[in-house]
Amino acid sequence: MYNQKTTLKSKFTSFLFVVPYLFLFISFLFFPLLYGIYISFHDYNLLSQENPFIGLENYMEIFSFGSSLSDLFFEGLWKTIQFVIYSVPLLVIIGLGLALLLNSLPGKIRGLFRTIYFIPYAISVSVISILFLWILDTNSGLLNNFLMKLGISPIAWLTELPYAWISIVGATIWWTIGFNMIIFINALNEVPEELYEASSIDGAGAWSNFIHITLPSIRPIMLFVVITSTIASFNVYGQPYLMTRGGPGDSTEVLLMSIVDQAFNQRELGSASAMAILMALIMIVVSIIQFKISSPKKQGGN
Amino acid sequence: MKFFKLSIFMLLMAAIVACSSEGENTDSDNQGSDEQDNQNTETQDITFWAPFSGPDGPKMKEIVDGYNESQADYNVDFQIVPQSDYYTNVDLAFNGEENMPDAMIMHGDQIFTYSEKGVLKNLNDLLGDETTDQYHETAIEGATVDGNLYGLPLDIHPLMLYWNKDLFEAAGLDPETPPTNREEFIEYAQQLTDPEQNQYGFAVPTLWPQQFIFPTIVAQNGGSLYEDGQVNFTSDAVVEALQFEKALIEEYEVSPKNVQQDGEVTLFLQGKSAMQLNGPWMMQQWEDAGMNYGVAPVPQLGTEQNAVFGNSHNFVIPEKTSDELTEGILDFLGYVRDNGMAWAESGQAPASKPVYTSDEFQEVNKQSPEVAKQFDYAVFNPKVENWGLATDPLMEAVNVALLGQASVEEALEEAQEKASNSLE
Repeated sequence: MYNQKTTLKSKFTSFLFVVPYLFLFISFLFFPLLYGIYISFHDYNLLSQENPFIGLENYMEIFSFGSSLSDLFFEGLWKTIQFVIYSVPLLVIIGLGLALLLNSLPGKIRGLFRTIYFIPYAISVSVISILFLWILDTNSGLLNNFLMKLGISPIAWLTELPYAWISIVGATIWWTIGFNMIIFINALNEVPEELYEASSIDGAGAWSNFIHITLPSIRPIMLFVVITSTIASFNVYGQPYLMTRGGPGDSTEVLLMSIVDQAFNQRELGSASAMAILMALIMIVVSIIQFKISSPKKQGGN
Repeated sequence: MKFFKLSIFMLLMAAIVACSSEGENTDSDNQGSDEQDNQNTETQDITFWAPFSGPDGPKMKEIVDGYNESQADYNVDFQIVPQSDYYTNVDLAFNGEENMPDAMIMHGDQIFTYSEKGVLKNLNDLLGDETTDQYHETAIEGATVDGNLYGLPLDIHPLMLYWNKDLFEAAGLDPETPPTNREEFIEYAQQLTDPEQNQYGFAVPTLWPQQFIFPTIVAQNGGSLYEDGQVNFTSDAVVEALQFEKALIEEYEVSPKNVQQDGEVTLFLQGKSAMQLNGPWMMQQWEDAGMNYGVAPVPQLGTEQNAVFGNSHNFVIPEKTSDELTEGILDFLGYVRDNGMAWAESGQAPASKPVYTSDEFQEVNKQSPEVAKQFDYAVFNPKVENWGLATDPLMEAVNVALLGQASVEEALEEAQEKASNSLE
């Protein structure tokens, strides 16, 4: 009886700690999400006085292939998926590489470089994009100036494929790599030192240390980084919007650009919400798949 | 677990109650203060929204302050809503009918959509011909839908020609004489181009501001992008316009290839491109950079006639605004019409005759009189709902054609197909 009371009390205390976040979560994430689902079942034009309930019609139009809404959604989705495929492996591998590199530095310099690599993450996407617009400008940019000095003909970094994708992915990596790096550094510090000592007694080299000790130990963190990077990459918007305007043609016009255009330029909130909900479902499915693929192995390792 | 669920439920309820009661509170507060104002001072507040988040904001503020000091019946509360999400805010205000401004600025190309939804006051019922005659007729026409006037024009902002006087002089051209037609434009541009120095006569943009440049050349070719209820992207006039722009890059070689977003502005600022077609809002940038530039009407780059594409700022009154306040707004607009010179100081050209025909206007700066010269033949977007759905594919076609990634005809045919599909 006494025990139960304390657990109830301590549960309540813990709950109080969650309250501020819960309140923000409900008002800024959960409620808007529900409202978005509600809107997606309506023919909802921002300026119309009447927004009739139309059930799944918005969704059905997205899946009736050949309609302009369907083209808008699937073309946008394909470009977003391209970006995910190009960016996520690099975000994970380079993040881990930087973390390993930094961890092998002596203490004081390590802190300095950690800060340096993390700083871009704190800058807003508009500033990042303007920086890269100036660096990558075909006719007057810094990078092409260097290339021309070396006798290489200038490259249309933002107006030609595949360079437009390379530039967007490159800018994204420079911008966000610090976050993954910090997570990996913490994970690497958690790996028990004894394991490395034991393996060095067995005469293992650095590479087999990495494969057999480091990688299995940081697998859960790795999974976390892969999933958060995938979600972040799915939400790509600012970089292509500001750097290429979706060009050349519409080849870098990612899904979120189409959704924002549909919602606020065409004022069709209903179909835009349906697109956004579908996009969220796809992200959830992808995350679950990633989780399923990687988690059984973790148990096997233990 | 039960307890947990219960607490969440209670929290939700609390949040909902808190939110709704907050809303009611502010509402009644507002009403309260309105009534108080009426009783005590008899000054009525007019909320006025505008997207002037640039250097033009203070100029409008100056006009509003002048009006507020000139009389005691009304107080115009001028609120700047950032340009980037101006219409989102306007839409949300109309949608919820909350926080609605009593008057607002609206671009000419937006008036059609809002008038179709019946959310704007028809000004024909409120104003006589003697008032509308006080504005340039192109501007009035731009704010008119099916014979009904929905806005009083503040200005027209058409495409302009800018040139770098230093580069003109260095190339042996008269720095005070800009080109006026296609032949001169090409000839000057060729003289100003020196590929070895990475210097060009004119950098052809592949993105913005093609939304202004391309329709200008189409109109100068005597064509239009929309005819008889149909998009019209494959007519000779449209094809010729794009071929001409492409030829500037590939045949005459007066423009660099692969100009990126804002690339033409960077080149102009760096003195690597001698001429620039852009809107009058760019003046401040050239001034800030300390450039020695000239400004003039757009040369006749098309084959048929003088024309220029533009947009306009208009004062509109939402349908919901009370008759009493509407009277005050019209009084304010009368003041702006006669005292709008401050607006010209930002480089714009007010569309009201008392301002743009005055001697003072000719001296206000070097740009505004040049802007007003183009009033007579300015053209606007066609009055079609969701015209943006048609221009998006068109601008993609212009983009890929100018980047050399598609032929002019193929690109325009694809745009024609896409645009007709999405407008259906």
